[in-house]
Amino acid sequence: MIISKQSPISISRRMLWFTGIICALVIVIGPVYLLLKYSVSDINSINTGGNPVPMWPYNPTLQAYVYLFSDSHFYQVLLNSVVISLFTIALGMILGIPASYVLGRYKLPGRKVLLLMIISVRLFPDIASVIPVVEFFIKIGMHQTYLGVILAHTLLALPYIIFIGAGAFESIPDDLEGQAIILGANRFQTFFKLLFPLAMPGLAAAAIYTFLLSWDEFIFSYFLMLGKQEIYTLTLYLNGIKYAEPQNLLAAISVCLSIPVIAFSFMVQKYMVAGISAGSVK
Amino acid sequence: MIILSDFKRTLSIENVKQWFFKTWPIFPAMFYLMSFLVIVLFYLIGLSLNHPCSEINFPTFASFTELFKNEYFNSALINTTLFMILGTPLELITGLFLSFLIFRSFFMRGVIRSLFLIPLALPALVTAMLLFVLFDFPGGHINHIITGGYSWFPQVFDQPINWRGSKLFSMAIALFGKVWRDMPISMLILLAGINNIDPELFDAAKTMGASFRKRAVHVIMPLMIPSISVVLLLRSVEMWKEFIFPFVLAGRYHLLGTLIDFYYNEIGNSHMAATVSIIMVICIVFSTLILMKILELIQKLIVSR
Amino acid sequence: MADVVIRSLFKKYGNHRVIENLNLEIHDGEFVTLLGPSGCGKTTLLRMIAGLEPIDNGELFINGKLYNHIPPQKRSLAMVFQSYALFPHMTVRKNICFGMKIKKLSKSEMDRKFEWVINLLRLKELENRLPREISGGQRQRVALARSLVLDPEVLLLDEPLSNLDAALRETASEELKRIHRQLGKTIIYVTHNQVEAMTMSERIALFRFGRIEQYDKPRVLYDSPATVFSAEFIGSPKMNFYEGEIEIRNNVAGIKTDLAFLKLDKEREKTIFSMPGRKILAGIRPQTVYYTGHLLRRRYTDTEVEILAELVENMGDRSLVVGRTEAGTLIRFIITREEKIDQDKRMKIFIDGRRIHVFDPITQLNIFR
Repeated sequence: MIISKQSPISISRRMLWFTGIICALVIVIGPVYLLLKYSVSDINSINTGGNPVPMWPYNPTLQAYVYLFSDSHFYQVLLNSVVISLFTIALGMILGIPASYVLGRYKLPGRKVLLLMIISVRLFPDIASVIPVVEFFIKIGMHQTYLGVILAHTLLALPYIIFIGAGAFESIPDDLEGQAIILGANRFQTFFKLLFPLAMPGLAAAAIYTFLLSWDEFIFSYFLMLGKQEIYTLTLYLNGIKYAEPQNLLAAISVCLSIPVIAFSFMVQKYMVAGISAGSVK
Repeated sequence: MIILSDFKRTLSIENVKQWFFKTWPIFPAMFYLMSFLVIVLFYLIGLSLNHPCSEINFPTFASFTELFKNEYFNSALINTTLFMILGTPLELITGLFLSFLIFRSFFMRGVIRSLFLIPLALPALVTAMLLFVLFDFPGGHINHIITGGYSWFPQVFDQPINWRGSKLFSMAIALFGKVWRDMPISMLILLAGINNIDPELFDAAKTMGASFRKRAVHVIMPLMIPSISVVLLLRSVEMWKEFIFPFVLAGRYHLLGTLIDFYYNEIGNSHMAATVSIIMVICIVFSTLILMKILELIQKLIVSR
Repeated sequence: MADVVIRSLFKKYGNHRVIENLNLEIHDGEFVTLLGPSGCGKTTLLRMIAGLEPIDNGELFINGKLYNHIPPQKRSLAMVFQSYALFPHMTVRKNICFGMKIKKLSKSEMDRKFEWVINLLRLKELENRLPREISGGQRQRVALARSLVLDPEVLLLDEPLSNLDAALRETASEELKRIHRQLGKTIIYVTHNQVEAMTMSERIALFRFGRIEQYDKPRVLYDSPATVFSAEFIGSPKMNFYEGEIEIRNNVAGIKTDLAFLKLDKEREKTIFSMPGRKILAGIRPQTVYYTGHLLRRRYTDTEVEILAELVENMGDRSLVVGRTEAGTLIRFIITREEKIDQDKRMKIFIDGRRIHVFDPITQLNIFR
């Protein structure tokens, strides 16, 4: 009977909470829905000549995607994005894994401070560091090249790789390494047979994170590639056609750009949530 | 598993050699980061203390003085400051809203939390593009809504609004986009803060008969000050740095970020661009210091109450 | 197989001295336990022997060879960690063969040794499981097997039984003893559990604050503790201690304490006769106090004390009684399950004078050693 006494209050609070959840979901999912809707809309349902654009997909069609995938430039752009992000992962991992091994495994004095310093490099504004990097690359002839963009993206990704990687190495119990050493393994054998396989999930997350960063990256790509269409990445391509193309095409490119990002984001959700919660990863 | 005591504190050639031998894997990455840091600082200072006029020699503050007289710069500085002052609390409020909705466990909480992460999983450029399309003039969704194009929404305006043509509106849309995208970040930091609070504290407050609102104000909020501070500090820095949303949505009206692009890519004046960059960094440092002081004061106030 | 000799060993962490001037000799094939409360440096010593911690000062010899600067990989010894340290991404078979692969043994040799060890430790049919798929006891055996296949000269065991439940612990400890008998390897075993130490080892090194308090056979450690700490640490329930001084009454020397005037056996009585007035700390094990029910067992060395049974704690096969004298001094003692004592009952008890331990309160040393 006590329950029935209390329930009016808790029901009204529950309704309030439920309304809040619904509102939040609409705010969060609404734009994504509209994006998808635009990408499958018939061009006539967008250029309506003053009539309201329908809220539901009217005559849904894949014409935007068909057009996109028949355009050879789009393939080139897609390839550019893939190549640049794969090379960024490779370079980032080659540099980042050894460093995160040292920072994660050795009980060095000042290790925590060093990690904090490395991650706070990312607080420095990209838009402020881009001018010097571009000027430097112009000087050494790497402006508007794949290599320049890859180097820049690696610079952005490296602190995250080291941070996530160091965490992965640190989580391996010391006893395991001690045991391997006592069983006769030297430093390299310990690393390749024990530490590396055990740190693999974390390192994979770091690699996916690097991919996302490079795939999404706009500021450095824009300043480093502006004007050289052959090496444009997806983000640049999308930006370049924003005034010119029909909106369903813009939406279709946006969807192509987003799908791998969303898929991979949910794959590394655990690491992203942990990183963001600690206030370290953006 | 190489331990502190392995490294002797004394400096001798033998020890330095040993240090290097054991920690060499860290050096390539450090060298990479350090050399870019040096390049960035070297060029930023070099460029900003120079002036394109050949008569003025290095070092000079001519770029700075010219900039401060410049109308573009002054309006960009004011815009960015306003952007930061409005955007930072907005990010906190949206984050608080989302985290308070889902901090207790309930059916499908994991799914809802994952859904709340969607804005973060969408590339910023895509979000900006989407808003670009939605706020199109004259035929975007938003214009159709407010001019009474749909039966479910009352007519507010007679004429469609040229959003991107108005300074106020274009800035507001950019801010909206930025806040929308960053909601999950604030939410996650705040959720971590809430989860660190001992649940027994809630129960204790409950048994003492505190109402929900009182509990929120007197128990939860003070304990969340650390995570709220983190949100405010990190987000205010992000606000100063913002580039993509104003770049796509407010092309004609500049923030500091887009002003750098304007000077560099449109006017071709790298000195001015570098000078703006330096001023942006200085702004970030000062605003962070001021914010830290304010947060410290607030914390003192709450403790003394 | 080998003997281990440690000479004046020192170890510091920062300013904290973990091990101080430690000397220890372990014979070939001996089972030695390092026993002590947590944080006394016993695990650190084990890790130093293994080579995981560098030696600040002093010498470590194994088989007569100086081991100080030999890297852990080249020391022919094996260690089982408290956590077992099984490699989680490898099957039982791969775990066991890890060391042999590193040492590049031939395939046939590896198979032969593997067969031998899984028979020895009853690990058949587990070989393709992952560590997380087997039980705690099995994990412990895999860790042991992984060490044994390398045929180490010295086997180091760091609290290998502490992660097992009580029932399993007994079987595991019996198995360890069996293996020691079978293989005759030198074993250094670290534990904080005195029962394990007493039942398993040939000699016990009792640690306290980084020093060895006493190094003896288990029986000797129990029967004649060298120091107050040894007396206190070994044996359960804890020994009763009474401050007192030597007095001569009726031409017989004894120890005057708050409890009673304690008599000793003849031999020791003679010794203390020459030192009247000397301050003494007397220790009485709860097991060496008799109840009036045993009048037949009385001896002339027994001291009679009258007490009130304040508390009787049933421990199953026996009971612990807390008694209080008229003057208010407490004494704890053990009675068997056949003897029944009611709470709040006045009674007479007898303290066996032959087994009173006599210490110097200042040096804390046993004065009869």
